[in-house]
Amino acid sequence: MVAMVKKTKLNNLARRASGGLAAKLLPWRMWIQTAFLLVWLDPLGLRLHTMCGPVFHCYACPLATFACPIGVIAQFTAIGIFPFVTVGFLVALGALFGSAFCGWVCPFGLLQDLAAKVPTPKFRLPKWIGHLRYVVLIGTVLAVPYFFGESHPLFICRVCPAGALEKAVPDMVQQAFAGRQIAWPNALKLTILVLFLVAIFFVKRPWCRLLCPLGAIFSLFNRISAFFMRFDSDKCTHCLQCHKFCEYDIEPEKNPNDLRCIRCLECTRCNFDALNFASTFEHPYSKSNETNNR
Amino acid sequence: MSLTDKKTKIVIFCLLTLLGVVLFVYGVGFHSTNILPQQKDDLTILTASEPALIKEVSIGGVTRDTSGELRRTYTGQPPKFCPT
Repeated sequence: MVAMVKKTKLNNLARRASGGLAAKLLPWRMWIQTAFLLVWLDPLGLRLHTMCGPVFHCYACPLATFACPIGVIAQFTAIGIFPFVTVGFLVALGALFGSAFCGWVCPFGLLQDLAAKVPTPKFRLPKWIGHLRYVVLIGTVLAVPYFFGESHPLFICRVCPAGALEKAVPDMVQQAFAGRQIAWPNALKLTILVLFLVAIFFVKRPWCRLLCPLGAIFSLFNRISAFFMRFDSDKCTHCLQCHKFCEYDIEPEKNPNDLRCIRCLECTRCNFDALNFASTFEHPYSKSNETNNR
Repeated sequence: MSLTDKKTKIVIFCLLTLLGVVLFVYGVGFHSTNILPQQKDDLTILTASEPALIKEVSIGGVTRDTSGELRRTYTGQPPKFCPT
């Protein structure tokens, strides 16, 4: 028995040693996400709100180093000005990493990943539901602000659960403890927050999968970004383990750079040789490039 | 990935990165907007660069009034946080 455990451990170590970037990064994902909190939660009190961060983190939160790109795009749309800085920033980063920001650095994603560790039954969502993100992006971030301004109840910041969780709820708690009258956020925002807080325990990353407009923007770059998921059909054993590992119900062997993929690299646990994180700039004749990317 | 695919991907990546950098640099260095003060009788016009405007919108400090002009929503000390 002990010998078998030792052999399995050695096999795992050997797989990791030969597994490239994905194998090296994968065990550290949650630590990397946690470490990035030091960047987003403004421990030095810098409040660099003249710039956007590449993550979903409300700028109304007292612990926010950068401005939220979605909030900025919506507010600029409401006042009828094109947000050159924010769009340029997102296009450049999206072209480089695609949706990797969602899986590796977003604090809102980390919160959902932590909640998903609670052992509750997890429900799967239909695949088409991921397209709702684009409806949210076009509707509440672009169309509503453009046609109705920022005072409309469907303006993204007025319904955003990140704002409710990071600013409205702490404010309400503070007001309650101080014995002051509680300023309640609007009913829609509260409903979305409550639904979100329940959903994170029963669905993996519900906000990212269903509604996140920033994820929708980054996902558009998934198929063309410089860092991408590479699938080698020759090394695939067709065991379909990658389907089980994928929290987003993607079929990595059919579409490794699916729009819903957040590059969490979980699917690579199946076989680091068949699925891996790769870069467009690798040498054309290197060993890792003798593959068939779809 | 074939070499042609790879070349296409590199070209697309370079074009997108260039587009992103150009938009970013234009926004940071050259794009500015005039903002009117909150009081309508005050005729001082403030010119805000885009990064300054990002900071203003992040606290709900700018709105487009009924005449179509950008106007500040406060006088004196800016609000600490976005009201939404």
